[in-house]
This record gives sequence, C-alpha cells and structure tokens, in this order.
Amino acid sequence: MSPITDTPQNTPASIRAALDRQAVAERLNGKTGRRFWRSLEELSKEESFGTMLQQEYPRFAAEWDPMHRRDFLRLMGASLALGGLTSCTRQPVEKIIPFVRQPEYLVPGKAMTYATTMPVQGYGVGLLATSHMGRPTKLDGNDLHPASLGGSDSLVQAAILTMYDPDRAKTVKFKGRTNVKGWKDFYADLDKEMAGFAETGGEGLHLLTGTITSPSLATAIEQALETYPKAVWHSYEPINRDAVYAATEQAFGAKLDPVYDVAKADVMVSFDSDLIGSGPGHLRFARDFAARRNVEAGGMNRLYVAESQMSITGAAADHRLALTPDEQEKLARAVARELGVAVNGATDTVHADWAKEIAADLAAHRGSSLVVAGEHRAAGFQALVFAINHALGNIGSTVSFIEPAAVRPGGQMESLQALSDALGEGKVKALFMFDTNPVYHAPASMDFQNKLRGVNFLVQHGLFEDESSEWCHYHLPGTHFLEAWGDCLAYDGTASIVQPLIEPLYQGKSALEILHRIATGKEASGHDLVRNRWVKSLGDSLAWKRALHDGVIANSAAAPVQPGWAWSDTGPAEAPAQSGKLDLALLPDYSVLDGFYANNGWLQEAPRPITTLTWDNALLISEETASAFDLATGNLVEVGSGEGMVRLPVLVTVGIPEGAGVAHLGYGRTKVGRVGEGVGASVYPLVDPASPFRASVSVTKVRGRHAFALTQEHHSIEGRNHLRVGTVTDFQNDPQFVWKLDEYSAKYGRNENAPSIYPHPHDYSQGPQWGMVIDLSACIGCNACMVACQAENNIPVVGKEQVAIGREMHWIRVDRYYEGRSAKVEVHHQPMTCVHCENAPCEAVCPVAATVHSTDGLNQMVYNRCLGTRYCANNCPYKVRRFNFYKFADHETPSLKLQRNPNVTVRARGVMEKCTFCVQRISEGRIKARVQNRPIADGEVVTACQQACPTQAITFGDIRDPMSKVSAKKESTLDYGVLSSLGTRPRLTYHARIKNPNPRLAAALVTES
Amino acid sequence: MASQPASTAQGFVEVETVLDENHTYESVTEKISSLPLTPTLPKPVLVVLLFAMLLLLGMGPSLIFLLVEGTGVWGINQPVAWGFAIINFVWWIGIGHAGTLISAILLLLRQEWRTSINRFAETMTIFAVVCAGMFPLLHLGRPWLAHWFFPYPNVMQMWPQYRSPLSWDVAAISTYATVSILFWFTGLIPDLATLRDRAKNKVVKTLYGAASMGWRGSARHWQRYEVAYLLLAGLSTPLVVSVHSIIGLDFAVSVIPGWQVTIFPPYFVAGAIFSGFAMVLTLSIPLRALFGWKDMITLNHLNNISKVMLATCLMVLYGYGMEVFFAWYSGSVYEGYMKFNRMYGPYWWSYWGLILCNGVIPQLLWFKKVRTSPIILFFLSIVINIGMWLERFVIVITSLHRDFLPSSWGMYTPTIFDWGLYLGTIGLFLTLMIVALKILPMISQFEVRELLHKKKHSNHH
Repeated sequence: MSPITDTPQNTPASIRAALDRQAVAERLNGKTGRRFWRSLEELSKEESFGTMLQQEYPRFAAEWDPMHRRDFLRLMGASLALGGLTSCTRQPVEKIIPFVRQPEYLVPGKAMTYATTMPVQGYGVGLLATSHMGRPTKLDGNDLHPASLGGSDSLVQAAILTMYDPDRAKTVKFKGRTNVKGWKDFYADLDKEMAGFAETGGEGLHLLTGTITSPSLATAIEQALETYPKAVWHSYEPINRDAVYAATEQAFGAKLDPVYDVAKADVMVSFDSDLIGSGPGHLRFARDFAARRNVEAGGMNRLYVAESQMSITGAAADHRLALTPDEQEKLARAVARELGVAVNGATDTVHADWAKEIAADLAAHRGSSLVVAGEHRAAGFQALVFAINHALGNIGSTVSFIEPAAVRPGGQMESLQALSDALGEGKVKALFMFDTNPVYHAPASMDFQNKLRGVNFLVQHGLFEDESSEWCHYHLPGTHFLEAWGDCLAYDGTASIVQPLIEPLYQGKSALEILHRIATGKEASGHDLVRNRWVKSLGDSLAWKRALHDGVIANSAAAPVQPGWAWSDTGPAEAPAQSGKLDLALLPDYSVLDGFYANNGWLQEAPRPITTLTWDNALLISEETASAFDLATGNLVEVGSGEGMVRLPVLVTVGIPEGAGVAHLGYGRTKVGRVGEGVGASVYPLVDPASPFRASVSVTKVRGRHAFALTQEHHSIEGRNHLRVGTVTDFQNDPQFVWKLDEYSAKYGRNENAPSIYPHPHDYSQGPQWGMVIDLSACIGCNACMVACQAENNIPVVGKEQVAIGREMHWIRVDRYYEGRSAKVEVHHQPMTCVHCENAPCEAVCPVAATVHSTDGLNQMVYNRCLGTRYCANNCPYKVRRFNFYKFADHETPSLKLQRNPNVTVRARGVMEKCTFCVQRISEGRIKARVQNRPIADGEVVTACQQACPTQAITFGDIRDPMSKVSAKKESTLDYGVLSSLGTRPRLTYHARIKNPNPRLAAALVTES
Repeated sequence: MASQPASTAQGFVEVETVLDENHTYESVTEKISSLPLTPTLPKPVLVVLLFAMLLLLGMGPSLIFLLVEGTGVWGINQPVAWGFAIINFVWWIGIGHAGTLISAILLLLRQEWRTSINRFAETMTIFAVVCAGMFPLLHLGRPWLAHWFFPYPNVMQMWPQYRSPLSWDVAAISTYATVSILFWFTGLIPDLATLRDRAKNKVVKTLYGAASMGWRGSARHWQRYEVAYLLLAGLSTPLVVSVHSIIGLDFAVSVIPGWQVTIFPPYFVAGAIFSGFAMVLTLSIPLRALFGWKDMITLNHLNNISKVMLATCLMVLYGYGMEVFFAWYSGSVYEGYMKFNRMYGPYWWSYWGLILCNGVIPQLLWFKKVRTSPIILFFLSIVINIGMWLERFVIVITSLHRDFLPSSWGMYTPTIFDWGLYLGTIGLFLTLMIVALKILPMISQFEVRELLHKKKHSNHH
C-alpha cells in the first residue's frame, strides 16, 4: 500500500475535520501569492487558529506561545504556502500537511521501497520502486522476480520519467477539447452507446489492445465478451511474437512460449536473436549469460552469433558473422545437416567452415548447448532452430516450452487485419482502443487513419494523446503502472502484481477499470478488482499481502509442457535478398522500443548501443554497402518498399551485412509530446504485413544533409591499452597477461605499487575506502547504468543540439571501441565514469578548492564553491567531468520536480559536475551503520549503476576491507587501471574482457584472412 | 644616467640615428604636444576609430548573451572546455609584454633608442592587459563569484587553492597590471606638466594640471623622479618574465599531452615578446606615417625592433622543434599522437599556419632591406600577430580535442559570440589607443629632449 493513501483510520473525527481541505481553504479564504503571507499573520492572531493548531499539529502546539510564534511560522510557512498556491486540477492539499500519526515506518527523509511490476509490451518485469514521502523517484529490478533478478534496463530506469511527463494526457477530451465534466460525460455517452449494444449482443463493438498477459484484464475482457457475445477483441503489438507461435505450431503442433535456461548452456548459437539485449526475459538471460563469462571461475560459455543487425548480443559474442536472414538460414541448415537433422532442399551454404565448427562444438555439448533464433525471424526458420535443439537433446534442458503467457498468443497481424477489414466494410460501430496506436504503427496498407472515420463511437485510452487519438471522439487519460493496480505475467509465466505507489497524477483511469465498466456497467476500483481476483485464487488475504510485499506470486511460473514432436522440414523460409535492393531489417529500438517511449528524454538522449546515436533513427549500413550505393553518413535517402516510401538519413556503422541495412521503429512520432515529436522518421510505412520485420527496399539518394548527434565519433582504440582484451588461452598461458599489455603495468602490476617521488597526498589508512571494479567480460553495453545514474542523480537532459556539440551530461557513459573493420568488427564496451583518482589531476588545478578529496577516498565536487573555470574538466584524463554550460536542469516544471531524488542537489548553471560514487547512498549507509554502532557492511552501499546492471558487471565497496567483494576483485590479475601510468591511482579499475573463442575456428579464421 | 656619455654607443645601437639631426628641444615638444592640444584628428585615424567602435558595438550582444545565457553560447564543450576566451587571453597578455620589456629592461640595459617608442608601447601594454583581463572573468561559469579568486577573510573560511596555476595567474596578472599602470603614469607626469603649461583651454589646463600632480620640474623633483622611475623599472623587470611564465604554467602543470611541456615558461615569454614587438610595429608604422613622426620613430627603430623579433622568432621556433623532439623522445603514445594530430589531424591548418606565420615568413627579417621597409614590416607584424594567435589556438584546442581516451574525442567550432567578443576586444583596444593618442603625449617628450641633450653633449666631445 502506498503511504499516502494509507490515511490513518483511527484519527479523532475532530482532527480529521480540521484536516479537511475545505476548512483550511475557508480559513485561508482563497488568498494566494504575496497577500497570503499577510493573511496568515492576520489569521494567526485569531484565537480559533490556536484551537485549530492544537487539533492539527499537537507537536507544534506545545510551542504555540507568543515567544515562539515566529519559529512556528517559519516551520509551517513552506507547507501552508504550498497549500495556498496550489492551482493545478488535482493537487490534493491534505497530502502536504504532515501526518498527524504517521503510517508505520514512514520517516521523513527516509525512502521506502515497494515491489511492483512494469509491463513491457505486456510482459512483466518485477521492480522495486523507491518512494520519498509518497513520491516514487526511482525504479530498480526486484531480485525475487525471475525476469529481473534485481537487474534492470534503460526502459525500466526511464519509466519513472514517463510517469512525471508533463506532456501526458491529463483530462478526458472530447474531439480534442477538454471535456468539462470529464468522466461523467464520457460515462453518460458510454452508457447510451452500450444500451444500444445490449440489444444487438454487441454487433459492431470492437476492442483493440496490445499483448495482454494480465489475468485481471483478461477477466474483464472475458466479461465484456460474455455480456456482448458478438463483440470482437483484437490485439496487436507492432513488436509481436506471431512468428514464435507459428514456429511452435510447426514444430509441436501447439502455440507455446520457449523459455531458455542460459545458465546451463555451455555453447550458444544465436541466429538474429537479441537474447540478452531485448525482448521478454532478456534481463534474466543477460544475468545468466554473464555469470558464465568469468574466466577465473572457469566454465566459460561460448556464444556464436549470426545476425543482420549489430545487437547487444552480437557485441557480446565470441564469434560473430554479419549475415542477412536468408544467409543465416543457410548457415543454420548447414549446421542442422552436420548434426544429422533431416533437412531437405538446396545444400548451398555460406561459411561452411563455420557451420562445421559450430556443429562440432554443439555436438560436443549435447544437452548443454542452446540455439536461438530471433523472435522476428520467419516461422520456418525458428522451427528449424527448434529442430536443431531437438536433435541436440536441448529441449527440456536448456530450452523448455510453456503454455503462452499471453492471453491470446499469436495471430496479431491477422487480428489487426480483421479489424482493418471490418472497418473498411463499415461493420464497426464502436471501437475502444487501449494503450495502442494503430494510426501510427499499423502497416500502411491497413489505412487506419482513413478507415477510422466511419466509426460512430471511437475511444482511445492511453498515457499520451497520440496520432490515433486525433481521429477519435474520446481520448481517455490512462494511468502509468505506478498509478494504478494491475497484474502481469513474466516471460516464464510468473505472475506479479502491479502495485501503484501514488494516486494518478492527473485524471487517469486504468484500462482495467474502464474495461470493467464497459463489461458490467458498474464502476469498481482497480484495487478491488485485482485484489478480489488474487485473493480468490491465492486463497487468503495473507498470501495477497505476501505477493505484494515480495512483488511476485510464489511458484506461479508456468510448468514446462512436454509437447509432441511434429516437425518436418518445409524448406527455406527466409526469402533470398533481391539484387539491387537493400535488405532492410525493421527492428525495435533500444530506447523508444516501438515508439511508446518516444517522449522520454532520458531514453532519447541515451546513446543507442553500438552507434551512440541519440535523438534519431537512421538507415544503418556498413562501409561496403555505403560504397555500393554511393552513400555516406549524413546523406538523405528515400527508402521504398512495396508498402510505402520513407525518407531517412544514412549512418554508416559497423557489423551490418553487406547489402543489408537496419532501420529502427518508433520514431517520427507526430503527436506524443514536446520531447518525442519530430524526432527521426517513422519506418512503419515500410512494414509489410507478410514479413513485418524485413523489407526489400529500393534506395534513392536525395538532396540534403542530416546532422546526427552522436556521443562518440571515434571508435578506434588508436593502439592504446585502456581497454584490454584477451582470450581464455591468453589467460591460461599467463594469468598476468593483462598487465603485460602495458609497459607500465608490466613493470609495476597494479598501479598502487608504482613508485613516486612525492609523498602520498592523502591518508587512506582509516575508515572505509571506496572503490569499484567493472568487469568488461560481463558488461554487455546495454545503457542501464547510464539511465539509472540519470534517475538517481537528477541529471538533466540537454537535447539533440547540445549533444551534437558535445555537451551531454551523463555521469557514466559506455565507451564503444571497434576492433577490425566493417562487417567483421568486434565491438567492446567500456563503461567510463569518474575513476576517483587517489591522486586526482582535477583537484590540483581548481583555484577555489571546489573539487577536493574526502577521507574515504572520494573525489568530491562542491557545487556551491564551483566558479566554473573548467580547468578540472580539461585536466581530467578520463574526460568524465560534465559542465552546466547553460541552465540545463529544469527548475520550473512542477511534475519533474517531483521525480527528483531529494538527496541530490539539482545543479545550477555554470557549475561542474561528475560521478560521486553515489555519495548520498554512502552517507545513508554510514548513518545507518553509525546509529547501530557498527562498521558499514560489505554490500550495504550499492551505487545506482551497480544496482541497475543486469549482468552485475559492477562491484563496489570498501577496498580496505580485505573480505569485501571489491577487494577480492582487485586482487585479480585481470584487474588493471585505466591510464594509471599517469600516476592517478584510480579507485575504479577494470577487469579485462576475456573472450572464449573456439580455438579451431579462430585458427581457421587466421588462415582465411 | 644623464651623466653617462652616450658616445659609448650602447650595444648595437647608434644613438645618433634614432632622432633626426635637425630637432631642437622646442621642436620636439611642439611636435609631440601639438596632437593632444589641437582639437582634430587626421581622417584616417577617424576612420580607424569608427571601425574600432563598430567592433566594440558588436561586443555588446556577445557580452549580454554570454552573461544572460551562460558560457554555452560559446563553442566550448566536452572535451574542449577552454576555447577562444583562453586563446584570446593568452594572446592579449603576450601583446602586453612589449611595453614592460621596452620600458624596463631596455631602460636598465641603457638602450636609449627605446625612448621614442616606450610611451605608446606602455600604453599598449595597459590596454592589452585590460582586454586580456576580461576573458578569465567572462569565461567563468559563474562570473559573479569571481572575487573568490582573491584571498580575503570570509565567512566560508575558504581561501584560494594555491596549488592551482589559475590562482598564481590572479596574482601575476594583477601585479603586472598594477606595476604597469604605475610605471606608465610615473613616466607621464613630466609630460602632463608640459601639456598643462602649454594648454590654452582652461578646462584642459585644469585637467592636465590635476593629472600632473603638481610637477614643477625642479631639480629635487627630477632627482626623486629618476630614482622612482629606476626603482619601478627594477620592479617591472622580473614581471616581464614572471607573468608569461605563469601563463605558461597554466598549461604546463596539467597532465594533458601538448600542455604538459617543461619548456613552456621560457617559450611563452619569448612568444610574448615576439607578439608584443609585432604589435608595436603594427601600431607605430601607421602612426609615424600619419603624424609625421618619422623623424622620431626612425627606420633605425624599426630595424632594432625587427632584430628583437627575429631573435624571439628563433627562440619560439626552437620551442616548436623541442615539442616535436619531446613527442618522439618521450616514447609516449599520447605525446606522439598529440604531435601527429597537430600536424595531420582535423586542425592541421592551424599548426602549419602557425609554422608559416611564426617560423617561415619572419625569416625575411634576416634581410636589412626588409627590416627597414615600413610597409613590409607592417604586413609582417600582422602575419606574426596572426601566427601567435594560431599558436595559442594550437595549444588550447588541438591538445584538448583529442587527448587520452579516443571515446571522448571531439571537435571545437567557435560561435558568432566567440568571434564577437574577440573582435570586440580588438575594437576596445583600438578605441582606447586612439583616445589615448588624442589626450596623452604618445612619445615621451622629456625623454626625447634628454636624448637630444645627450646627443648634443656627445657631439661636443
């Protein structure tokens, strides 16, 4: 339960009356602004004020005598003044008056944590939400939830900003205008409409939703379909899993969800699957994958990737091939043939040596290998991959199948087509759309924009007024998952409750509440609906409370089914690329996904993995393709498929197969809010319903240039050794090989052993000494740390223009280096933030001592003292300092103020800032430990980036404590300091990236080139 | 000093040739003081003044936008957090060096040819320091807190952090400005008294009277004056070296390849003198043509200034050579790349432009014909000023834009506000110079008379 809604029930009636907003408001007599202060003085002279005070604030009333009146006013001024100044539609005044009796555990200034669930395209990710005095401020993974295990991604981290987005739909709107009576008017119209449908059994009544896994929503929809039996429910998600279910039908004769056990896989092969980078369950898969990437622990897994994009998974691979989907399928067929799978058809293949070695490697790990195909690949291809797993005996071991988590799995494209057809035939009388946006993301051939016009009663429900709401009669404001009750299933079927932390900021109602109203004609609170549903199925309210507390319903994961094997090869499923055309992959974006997060500034400004592109999408091609089509970065092209034509800027990047391109969905929003409108170009018009994620397109260069905002433009390591990479063999031959990659560390090992003619500038022999290790073998470059840091540390968004000229503010960044060229590239990630040098170059050059060292080894930035000479930034060899060139922080927008972490200063213009190692969290830990008179325990202080990291690549703690995890990591010979030859003695060190290539394939590759 | 026979012909200068034969005490005074005491200025000067004031006008918006919006209006970013402001600062301070050098060091070295150019060289110094001094204040993120640079007792109980060379800067520049102004004003007093005596307008007379601080030209005055002047010269001398050394240290104490260079202090001083003398030429060549001062600022002066420039040019060139040597000899990949990037990176033009302007073209000064040709020297001096500006551009920008980690490499592009402020300070400088030219004797009258006296005295021998 959220603290604010948990009003104490046992408060005396008289006091509650005094707390009444009405009463206070009458006393204040509507006076606002400057005059208000005088009124308060006048008011305070009345005797009744004393009485009111006595009842309202017994603690302060003790001080209520003329002597202390001034103090009292000072104390109360702020909160009462806020009450007087309130002008928004829904700012409940009673909530800013302190609690008479505080809810249990609520201590002002102390954050509280609640478990909840974030639905991402219908699938739940269990979260822990941090709340400060009733304001949720930060989201992190819930370690009890199987889809998160405590990790998170950038979408999770940024979701909080969406809730506080000032551009959200706030009120019920009728034909684009604010409807004065709001919900009342809507319900009156709805009842009229539904009365008509009651007679016809719902003939012409249609519902359109996204993927739904929520049992409560399913119940509501079922009820609606029972009440109106002729009504039709369509569901469509642009990033859908239709092909997965089609594949399982081919292979098993049933629609099933595959669930992978990455932890058990010694050898993994991915065909275009971004297993650890996106899609349901990717956080879990990333965790399990990274757990097997530790060379010192042994048992490293090996990952082969053949893909048409340059994905997070591809960057993590030991061996990677850039192949178009049809070439991938050929490779898969060759592997299958080697493994004795009965495949028919042509035997031509690409990279026969790869097929042989991959097959041999897989065959050596029967039952402990895993082959995965992308969810967007053709059903026949995915089925073939199931067949390979079947042949390897992996089914039941590393891959199991469950009944789908989605209420209505698969067939979404057909479902949308059916709606489009019904609309075209004029059969749709009323259409209710929930959290979906067909005008924007439906394939162009379905022509929703024009077809919607014939509908009598069109209702769009969602967080934002979007492209579809413009064509609807009603737009109903939706609720964020932190505002309303709900439930959700995870990728493996685990159920959890969506628990709100705050009342809806605006007049939103959840889809559940509205659907229930449509189905039953009665209003019910989302809380009651969800609670009743789960108390009934769990048996008692204690289990319900337990589920809320844990954030997961115990043992609710779906049991694996034992499907019958029904596969036979149907021949190549992926069409060969057409010559002269570009084989374009249309893929979800790492930041805006399908466009839902387009208005989220944190996500727009997070550099997309690999390309570091911000605030844009582009036609991504590699060098060879660029020269074949005579294109260069910044050129504009018209890309045309059979479906439509789109104008896109070209960005030449790496890792994309020759003759192929990648364009990300979710951009070119025309109506969503101030942040997302006009960013990039929509590529939905290219989507062919028959193969939604792949299009064969013509490319025509057109006049004009486009400027991109990239956070990193130089990806060569220039022969330097701040990023160290090796193989398992290297490590086995010489455990100290990492140090030998650099003359200085070859001589001195870890940096603290290096001699210096100067005495050590600080005494680090006392107290905790904070240090960090980032394991580059585990880092997958997903951006979770960047956005988590932004949420935790109130880091502003600066916009495209400022990013383009190099003024992004991220305290932690993920550097990307490319090894090799073009398609055969290897990508390495290196998260870089303030390394907290023990001997910091920045400190020496500040003329006013605004950056100094703390006794616990932190390099601190004193914002108030900073003049902004920027010498520190120049003298930082790691270039991790960030300067407020303008007043970047939004000091005005009220809703954004609510999001801020109250323990972190919002920085002013002209002030330098940088990573603090989350000093506010360190302080919290120190205070807690001191109150309990004990040292700070290892693992008690967790930095925001560390907490967010889905692969646990970041370790933080006391390096003076020999038993701490971070000390153990620093003992490793993989540990090295970046630029430590400068004598900076960084507290943040790195573990070299160790790859596990197949020695035979590696040898083959050497002879090949 | 006056008792010293000038016939010993100090150094390489022949005293006789630095002043026209036909000058008398009267003609010198008449010629120099006529400019402040007549109400007109030559047309070309008025045109220059108009141009200068236009530039100054353009500074207005640049300043307003800067102060209202923040340093974001400039092209600076991460990694190039210093840009035009620091380049211009160092450039102006460098220009300001010639004044003190001419006034103090040449005085102590008895280079008497300095007398007809020292006044405006000093004036130039002060105005250059004014222009320079604006930049460190304006480049601050929060310029309204600039007083924190100074050590003063305060409730925060905070003092400047004296490990930072920026704190040394504050001391060095404020000292330099103070001593330069004192030196300049002390030198002016006898001449202001002359103007007072010759002024016919009562207001003007009163103003010059107040400024001359009761100078009567008595023997006691002269005696004390000479002592004070010599002492101030002595005080100024170390400053010539210290100020630009400390500016050199601003860069040299850092860890950035291209900044962390041990030869920076002397190399910066040499560069400063180089640019300062170039600016003296830029200003004196048109002046001697416009005001008919060719008899007092003779070709011999130009020749001597050119020789100083040639000498400092060679020192600077040695510095450039050493930087290349260090980059190679250090064996450091960062140093090596820094030098490579300067020569062949995206800002290659600035490096080769600097070599051309500061290294190659000034070699013309080996020829006496060039050294005594005012027109060639004028253009040469402008080339050198551009070269010295490019040198600071190379040091500040190309070192920062690609340092250690390639991930944070970036580019720097100045904005219209960068240019507006830079050109604005040029406007300010020229405006102040022309105003000073109009109201103050730009050639030291009494010192020229003294020179004349010595000349006559030596002729009698």
